[in-house]
Amino acid sequence: MIYPLAHLLGGLVLLCAFSLLSQRRLAAMISIYQAEALILSAAAAWQGYAQHEFNLYLTSAITLVIKAGIAPIALRRIVHNFNFFRAVETVMPVGLSMILGVGLIGVAVLVVLPTTMNSVGLTREDLAISLSVVLLGLLVMTTRRNAVSQVIGFLSTENGLVLAAIGMPGMPFVAELSVALLVLMAFMVVGVFLLRIREHFDTLDLSGIEEIERRGR
Amino acid sequence: MNFLLVALGFAAPTAAFLPLLAAPFIGFFGKPMHGAFANVGLCFVVFALTFGVFKSPGGGLIHADQLGMIFGALTSFVALSTSLTNIGFVRSEFSRMSVRRWRVYHAMCQVMLGTTILGLYADNIGMLWVAVEGATISATLGVSLPRTATALEAGWKYFVLGGVGIALALFGTMLTYLAAQPVLGPGLKAMSFIALEVNAAHLDGSLMTLAFVFLLFGYGTKSALVPLHGWLPDAYAEGPIPLTATLSGLMLNVALLALLRFRHLMQANFLAHGGALRPGPFLDSLGLASLLLVAFSLWRRRDARRFFGFSSIENSGIAVFAFGVGGPVAIFAGLLHMILHSLVKSALFQALTRAAAMRGGAGPHQYGFSHLRGMMASNKFLAWLLVGCVFFLTGLPPSGLFATEFLIISQTIQRVPILSLPLGAGLLLCAIAIIRQAGPLGFAPPPQNTRPAKAGRLLGFVYLHLALVVTLAFAMPPLLFAALSNIAMGLQ
Repeated sequence: MIYPLAHLLGGLVLLCAFSLLSQRRLAAMISIYQAEALILSAAAAWQGYAQHEFNLYLTSAITLVIKAGIAPIALRRIVHNFNFFRAVETVMPVGLSMILGVGLIGVAVLVVLPTTMNSVGLTREDLAISLSVVLLGLLVMTTRRNAVSQVIGFLSTENGLVLAAIGMPGMPFVAELSVALLVLMAFMVVGVFLLRIREHFDTLDLSGIEEIERRGR
Repeated sequence: MNFLLVALGFAAPTAAFLPLLAAPFIGFFGKPMHGAFANVGLCFVVFALTFGVFKSPGGGLIHADQLGMIFGALTSFVALSTSLTNIGFVRSEFSRMSVRRWRVYHAMCQVMLGTTILGLYADNIGMLWVAVEGATISATLGVSLPRTATALEAGWKYFVLGGVGIALALFGTMLTYLAAQPVLGPGLKAMSFIALEVNAAHLDGSLMTLAFVFLLFGYGTKSALVPLHGWLPDAYAEGPIPLTATLSGLMLNVALLALLRFRHLMQANFLAHGGALRPGPFLDSLGLASLLLVAFSLWRRRDARRFFGFSSIENSGIAVFAFGVGGPVAIFAGLLHMILHSLVKSALFQALTRAAAMRGGAGPHQYGFSHLRGMMASNKFLAWLLVGCVFFLTGLPPSGLFATEFLIISQTIQRVPILSLPLGAGLLLCAIAIIRQAGPLGFAPPPQNTRPAKAGRLLGFVYLHLALVVTLAFAMPPLLFAALSNIAMGLQ
């Protein structure tokens, strides 16, 4: 009972991570990221139930509220405020990056499964899936030019890390580590915001922005 | 008296958490000068505490081993001397940033100090990771503080590269836990360095190898090894120097020591036929790549901060190379090299900040070699300090780096003879490049309209760094020698 559901949720996270590669519009990327975070939250709750671990419920709640709630809203705000509705530039054709993605998943499976012969089956496969998600997130970061889509790639990488952490049997500090990752994420989103402001107004001094507001854009 | 003893018992956690707890207060209240003085006070308390740690190393999650103690003392010493010259920095740069940004700057100095010490004292691989993450965030905030376009870009670059590095390191940390969990059982024990070292032979070797690759690239990013070094020169060149160059230079040590400890786990597992690969070649190749890249790119630098940033990459590379060569002598030399390099580099950056202030402030383009050359005409006291630091950095005697580099080369000839030629060539090229490029800082015709200026009283403190560099290498205190050899024997 534990196996199929945990695998199903892990597989869905992987599917989301993979389909991030194929999306060229930021709004769609954010939606997929949101779905990924939702599934991750469900996976954490399920592992918490299976391992009887309160920490994992906490991780699930944090993921649900912040990653699936607040972060997508903030990202949509950025997209809306700065008019990013057009398709984002990619470094290589989408087809090629998807082929690379498949290759990365293959690498992850081939690396993880033989090295974890002694571990429990559930952990092994969970680890293979989460390593794939991590690598796919990094691939998204390298194939996109736009800062927001790079951040989404990084957030997807983070989801992979949390997925790995909740699959580790009895790992301490899972909730704490995911909070630490969240802090990083928060700074990244704020960072994008600041970068965008700079590109639009050539300064980050809020006084300058007020000046522009007064004069009218 | 009793109270003091109790306080001493918590020296290790206090030294790490006091700066972190004080940071918000500094970040929200006070004028820039208040922040600078608060920094000095806190650094002094932490300095005293890190010596208390030698008496009581703490326990549980924050349990300093000898390695942590020595580097903790080094960190707090450098932080103290930086905070003293920082007063002059704030005074000369006062008008360049708003009060709010100065507050953030001083708070980030404390966060950086606290996380560095936490990373050194942590006996838990998760705690170590959190410390490195916190330091990365504070450093990025610091780099982007000047709010110029280039500073923001440098900050973003640091953030993206550092973030990826941190993500990889976390994955490696979890894999290490997974490798240890069958032996040490689920729970905190499988994340403790002490327990891991005792049981290194029984860990799952193939999983450890996989973990080590992630940790190498994760913490390798933080210690600026080629090809993961891209963030460092930018970060050094764009941010306020005392925070982003001097204090965050100390963070390199944390990442390097993490690599050393994980390397030891791998090596012990390999020697016990646990299935792990030998970590030496990984470290050797990254270290040598760093050294050689720097040896060729030093020649083309025009900006002093970027130049010395590259030299930090070189020294990270040398230390990692020494760890890769292995054996007690090479590890001893690598550790001593890290200590001495931290002392020289922090002294150098303090002198450089003062020099730039003399030539009209530390603005974006104030650190060009052409702008700073001929400091002898401005102030002899400062110029000799600068020349001394540059000369010590080349690794020629009487610099202590001569002794450590000599040891590393001789060990390389003994253990991996094939690498000794590129190593020697790299070191030589770097030394020549440093003399050629940075020598004119002291003895060259100065730019026009240069007038003599005052050096400031606190700069004398920086000479202490150079004295320490000579003493520690050629007249090493027996206690330190015993401690370092002990560590090197344990980690070989």
